[in-house]
Amino acid sequence: MEPPQEISGGGGGGAETLKNMPPGSSISIAYHPNFGPHDDLIVLELDEKLIPDVLNERMVLRGQPDEDAVLCTQSKTYAMKFVGTSNSVLLVPPENQSESYENQQKNDINNTDEKAVARIIKVVPGSLELIEVSPKLDKLKLLLSENTYKFDENDMEILEENQESRAGLYNWNDLIDNIQASDEELRFGLQALSAVEINGYWRLVDESYMDMILGVLLKNSVLNDRSLNALNEDEVVNMLESDGFPMVLARHCLHLYANQVKENDSMESCVWKLDEKRVCIHYAREILKGGKRKLESFMEEWRKKTPDKMQPSFDLMEGEVLTEKLGVETWVRAFRVSSLPSTPAERFSILFRERAKWDWKDLQPYIRDLNVPGLSAEGLLLKYTRKTQPSPNQDPVFSAR
Amino acid sequence: MQIRVKCNCGERNCEEWGVVELQGVVEPQPGFQGSLANLQIGTLCRPSSQEIYTLTIGYHELRGSKVSLKKPLLVLKKVKHMDGESCSDVELQVVGIIRHKILFKTRPKALISKPQITSREKPKAIMLGSAASNQAV
Repeated sequence: MEPPQEISGGGGGGAETLKNMPPGSSISIAYHPNFGPHDDLIVLELDEKLIPDVLNERMVLRGQPDEDAVLCTQSKTYAMKFVGTSNSVLLVPPENQSESYENQQKNDINNTDEKAVARIIKVVPGSLELIEVSPKLDKLKLLLSENTYKFDENDMEILEENQESRAGLYNWNDLIDNIQASDEELRFGLQALSAVEINGYWRLVDESYMDMILGVLLKNSVLNDRSLNALNEDEVVNMLESDGFPMVLARHCLHLYANQVKENDSMESCVWKLDEKRVCIHYAREILKGGKRKLESFMEEWRKKTPDKMQPSFDLMEGEVLTEKLGVETWVRAFRVSSLPSTPAERFSILFRERAKWDWKDLQPYIRDLNVPGLSAEGLLLKYTRKTQPSPNQDPVFSAR
Repeated sequence: MQIRVKCNCGERNCEEWGVVELQGVVEPQPGFQGSLANLQIGTLCRPSSQEIYTLTIGYHELRGSKVSLKKPLLVLKKVKHMDGESCSDVELQVVGIIRHKILFKTRPKALISKPQITSREKPKAIMLGSAASNQAV
């Protein structure tokens, strides 16, 4: 359409006019030619520090139709809350945005008094506010557990092309479509779950399969007299591959149970040192898979299972097991913090169903990973527990609220 | 699913939109319902170099001031892409940013056209001139 030259006599209009009114001046406030509900226009309040993320298009809304959408930056997740207002919030767009038809013809008001006009496009019922929240990563565990990578899958990889075999498999794009978390938080979540990308899909590897690979790695290292503190990546991976394990899992085994101590340079491969704690925990889990055990027999078998140079100590088992006294016997059973939900309400409800009363020493390993933006650890305890201290020199006990 | 927040504002900043906020509801006379386009609501006046404003609507005058928002507001537009089969392809486009508003937080004062001249003669004249076109608050 034609440029809105007729109103320029009055000094333009719209938002700029509103912003830059000189002292002693007046402007007219009017309905925009396209005034209406404009439900497609949304007002979002956000912190100044997030503006660069907006300008660089690093923001995305995530969620399934049945979930409340969250807004994610590269590293953080925000819930969106609609806050209504009973005031009339009249929204004035810049004039060039509203270049739309016929506002030239209907300027009878402008002709009579030579005044600039700020035109109201809609009355805003309220705005969306952002609240930082923890990422919804429990669903990630759920999705990846649908189809864990097992020993017999090696032989079936030819089927990969087949659509049928995609059931329960998620690539990165599937995950960001399904999980309400920022990219960074999702990557962290995948790492925390020890997930590995196999043929483009993010998978959890069946624990007994990893046990098998670790067992072969340890046995071979002993046979070949290799130090567990200096495992050559190429050697280990080649060895495991020749034993029939896929290369990606051989590497995964090192990532899971060892730490890289030397980067690979042009000539030599990476060097890894087996992590005593992670190896010991792995074997403890394997033993307790069969159910609870008497402490003595557990410790005995644990020592037997772990590599000779390692010293399994019960301190390593924080957040992995609970002990209970039955008569004179102490029993151990698996109770893994990694198997608990990450929302505080659900977490505490399960903890107090497990035990009505917790000592701080026992409770701490099961809640230290909880992270609620804006709520400190003390705040969490205050909100979800009742702290009792029978006498000043006794340790406090936590129970459900 | 994912909805991208797109921004064509370029490197510097987004275009500023304006807001006039007042208590209550602006209600056009019944005769204007359905034909609000271009209808004048009132006159906004900045009498001095202070950021104090008056808004005259019909026989009512509001006094308010310009306030900077603690947190800016983004104006987003929901855009549906109807191309191809995926008609559910939605995108949010940043169309503007709001950093200030002119806020009228007091109740309106009735303007009674007695001949008694006060300091506020100018807005009164405007009010009378536009009073016929609508009614409010």
